[in-house]
Amino acid sequence: MTATENATALRPLHTQAPVDRYLADMWSRRDFAVAMPVEQIRASHQDTLLGNIWHLGNPMLNVAVYYLVFGLMLNTDRGIRNFILWLTVGVFAYRLTQASVTGGARSISRNQGLLRSLRFPRALLPVSEVISRLLTFGFELGVLAVLAVGTGEGVSRRWLALPFVILVHTMLNLGGAFITARLNDSFRDVEQIVPYMFRLLRYVSGVMFPIERYLDNATTAPYIQRIFNLNPLVDLVNLYRWVFLGLPMELFQVAQLVVVSSLVLMVGFWYFRRAELRYGRS
Amino acid sequence: MAVPPLSISVRNVHIEYELYSDRRAAIAQRLITRTGTGRSVVRAVRGISFDVREGEAVGVIGSNGSGKSTLFSALAGLLAPARGQILVSGEPTLLGVGASLLPRASGYRNIRIGCLALGMSSQEIDARLPELIEFTELGEAIHRPLRTYSSGMRARLHFAIATSVEPKILLIDEGLAVGDRRFRRKSNQRIRGLLDKAGTLMMVTHSLGEIRHTCDRALWIEQGKLVADGEANDVVDAYTEASER
Repeated sequence: MTATENATALRPLHTQAPVDRYLADMWSRRDFAVAMPVEQIRASHQDTLLGNIWHLGNPMLNVAVYYLVFGLMLNTDRGIRNFILWLTVGVFAYRLTQASVTGGARSISRNQGLLRSLRFPRALLPVSEVISRLLTFGFELGVLAVLAVGTGEGVSRRWLALPFVILVHTMLNLGGAFITARLNDSFRDVEQIVPYMFRLLRYVSGVMFPIERYLDNATTAPYIQRIFNLNPLVDLVNLYRWVFLGLPMELFQVAQLVVVSSLVLMVGFWYFRRAELRYGRS
Repeated sequence: MAVPPLSISVRNVHIEYELYSDRRAAIAQRLITRTGTGRSVVRAVRGISFDVREGEAVGVIGSNGSGKSTLFSALAGLLAPARGQILVSGEPTLLGVGASLLPRASGYRNIRIGCLALGMSSQEIDARLPELIEFTELGEAIHRPLRTYSSGMRARLHFAIATSVEPKILLIDEGLAVGDRRFRRKSNQRIRGLLDKAGTLMMVTHSLGEIRHTCDRALWIEQGKLVADGEANDVVDAYTEASER
């Protein structure tokens, strides 16, 4: 028997799997992508006295702080009906993206032990980070529902659109997480910068006050308005406010959001996967 | 008797890795002098070739920093070679004591997550879990966080995870030396079982007795290059002689 005959059964170890095989491989390990976040949630507050109550406590304290600052002290609520719910919807929706993308940045750098020991599609790590944030968001949706009923907004048929809204939202978050995960693997400085980026972005995304108030005057140049209008987070926050408060939402905005989110996801996945074989080596 | 088919083929493999701590200096240097590649690269493996056949147990020896562990990371598919190629007949599984999977999670959770990452389904794991836990002999400690484990305990856990999927190619990087006698006997049994099923074993260890005992062939690596490749006892003898000189 010659060596070449034997070699037919061999396959190269270090080739990047084609996208369909890669996705199939990810799908077959979906239990892993869910077990990781459950583990993370379990571990995240295990050192605190109140433990898992913090999953509800954190977002509620956040809303309390914003309500004090923007509602009571700065009076930004002028003219906004049900400001407390309006604000809470914005804060929770925005926080989901913020937490997913910042968490995504750490998903590769914090799991070096796993990356150095086991071989699996690396994209599962940002995915499980995003799933983990979604689980926390579940608690927050509960808070929103209670708040909507408590403030007299009531239950609405629009709530049925939530799965779609969350799907589009997740596509955006996942794309962002892929991008920061790879960037942070090359430059660990990224995870320091990302939180500030989001803090800045929050003020132009209409989370705590409507951006229209600052854009709707003749002094703002049209190109600036166009840039502001491309921000998918504005449309996203508006979409959630349509669900919970019935505020107007144009179909055009929804379409734009879907397109932008899909693009971010595709570009992010492509960008992340290009460095597949490099993760875990530094 | 026919020669068993190849399971690993390493062809002129070079492996380099970047030193992270040097990156800042490298970037600064590049900005100031506009020279250099901006990277500080360690050439850990410099052109190694060998073939391993099914059922073979191959030990790898060499002094500290000779490139053994780097080579194993590449064999496990975790590190891509800068040049050359590695071919395999099945999915390799690496067992090492250095890295712990999830330090804050319990041993129990680590087994679950480790097996899931290796591609087992939840149901499969549930079915195998009692047996895996029993194999580790960790008792109540299985529910303690991994960071509290001794290196021997960690090795038992990692061994259970790595062999849970009955790998065709098992790579052990200093995994067994830290275990006690009893664990070594048990793990040797598992390895024998694996080799009998046409599996392949490669192990790095500084315990030369273990190489003589477990392996039929040995590779000697020094400074990223292959010094000797042959019958285990011969290579170990040559290595011992050289290091005592």
